[in-house]
Amino acid sequence: MNKFRTLAREFRKALPGYLFIAPGYLAFIAFMLVPILFAISLSFYKASFDISARQFVGFAQYIQLSKDPIFKTALINTIEYALVIVPATIFISLVIALLIEPLGAKSQAFFRGAFYIPGVAGGVVLSVVYLWIFNPTYGLLNYLLGLVNIKPILWLATPPHSFQAVCAVVLTFTIGQPIILFLAGLAGISQDILDAATVDGASSWQKALHIRLPLLRPVLLFVLATQTIQVFQLWEVIYMITGGGPYNTSTSLVYLIFQTAFVGSNYGKASAIGVVLMVIILIFTAVQLRFWKDTDI
Amino acid sequence: MSTQVPKQEAFRRAVEKTTHLVSYFLLAILAVTFLLPLYWMFTGSFKLQTVTMALPPEIFPSHPTLENWTLLFTGPWPIWRWVLNSVVVSLLTVLLVLVVSSLTGYGFGKKKFPGSNVLFIILLSTMFLPNQVMLIPLFLLVRWMHLTATTIGTYFAMAMPMISSPFGIFMVKQFCSSIPDELLDAARIDGASEWELFTKIMLPLLKPALAALAIFTFNQAWNYFMWHMVIAQDLLQFTIPVGVSVISRTPAAGKMITNIGLVMAGGSFGAFFMIVFFIAFQQYFIKGITFGAVKG
Repeated sequence: MNKFRTLAREFRKALPGYLFIAPGYLAFIAFMLVPILFAISLSFYKASFDISARQFVGFAQYIQLSKDPIFKTALINTIEYALVIVPATIFISLVIALLIEPLGAKSQAFFRGAFYIPGVAGGVVLSVVYLWIFNPTYGLLNYLLGLVNIKPILWLATPPHSFQAVCAVVLTFTIGQPIILFLAGLAGISQDILDAATVDGASSWQKALHIRLPLLRPVLLFVLATQTIQVFQLWEVIYMITGGGPYNTSTSLVYLIFQTAFVGSNYGKASAIGVVLMVIILIFTAVQLRFWKDTDI
Repeated sequence: MSTQVPKQEAFRRAVEKTTHLVSYFLLAILAVTFLLPLYWMFTGSFKLQTVTMALPPEIFPSHPTLENWTLLFTGPWPIWRWVLNSVVVSLLTVLLVLVVSSLTGYGFGKKKFPGSNVLFIILLSTMFLPNQVMLIPLFLLVRWMHLTATTIGTYFAMAMPMISSPFGIFMVKQFCSSIPDELLDAARIDGASEWELFTKIMLPLLKPALAALAIFTFNQAWNYFMWHMVIAQDLLQFTIPVGVSVISRTPAAGKMITNIGLVMAGGSFGAFFMIVFFIAFQQYFIKGITFGAVKG
């Protein structure tokens, strides 16, 4: 009896907590957790437009994927996109942040905003104008290259160039966020440390390399993680400017998921590709967290 | 010795001035490079089709025309409806995210109950998952429930994948943990109910964090292109990004190619709202971005 009463008291004490999280947690279960679990289960089914007629096929779709050349290209491209775009984004935004940082508050705000604006405009809007810029006959890019005697390039129709074109478009809108993060990180570095280095005769480049960069490590790791996960999900620019082509040379995993699911109505296969992407991102995040543990963030 | 110090000082200032000038110069070049596409789009919207295809390209339109804009506003595209759709979907998403994040974040941040750690870790572990994976089941759910049959259903369907934002919940939880328990205990002794503790003590303190979350979510919801495209079945259900992409794929009347000037007008129109929104709320954007990444 006594035990029952303490249990009841415990429950009454815990009740507000459960009630506060209930609406959000139920929404989370309904619109995230269950869909994710359902997608994982769908990957073991052959499922097309009429979902109720799905057939259990076990790992068959994963085995098929491992032999599918388009899937392999998409997988390799996705990793290559990350290997190109992420370092480029970090390098450019770090240089810009280091250039902005010594300026006055007003100039800082101005440039910070200027570099972030392409990002708020969105990938669709930027892709639309890039389609014109990349046009081989009347596009701005080939005209500018012509001024330095480079022959016209079929940007969106020849293999290495369509990949490069996608990278260029993505870079115009990925740098804004890291610049803001790096500036916030730089502002957090105490002036005393930098002054001490100045007294010791360190040049500004020495200070940047040996003091600022190491102290920026937590922010750098955060940017690396978020940017990589974002690029792993690259899709809309590909959809807008190359359609994955030519010959799937600029496709990505998410583009393939979109095509397979929402154009081809092959929900089982698309889910299997999604699960592969999920596993890649999970492995990447786990490795990242290892690094985070060493820094106190 | 006495002349040495001012000399050094003058030298230091001269160096600082030159570095600033060099910085401004480099930044100006970089900013022009990165903003060039937007400039090209905006000026392109005032060029005739013959001019958009002319070589050498006109850096500034020599004979600006309003033809493209007139065509955009009077043509077959219901663009104001698209703006309305985008605004409603984004506002609905923000509203739902704020309710869910503040209640749940507060629950996890300030309440002790069995299982809270496990439940929170499950929530957090989905934060970095690619959301395209869950879009397939959500799409099947929307189709099964015939949500797109009604306008309100369509709006809700478009907001659906963003409602339970693990990021928002995490943000509010962290914020709540930083608020001392004594503040809540004092109010509790004064006889405040659990609900009053939340609405009267916590919500006012949460305001800045929620404002940043709201602004950030609005921008994300506005640009959630893939999902909007999957959901929108007809012209009247499009949001701005879907509309812009469709305009960019539609050939000009009786031609094989698109009307570039019109596409640029559409793009500029689409970009306009978010750019104005960003300039108005820049501070909140920055708070939302730096939250969690930078201490202090």
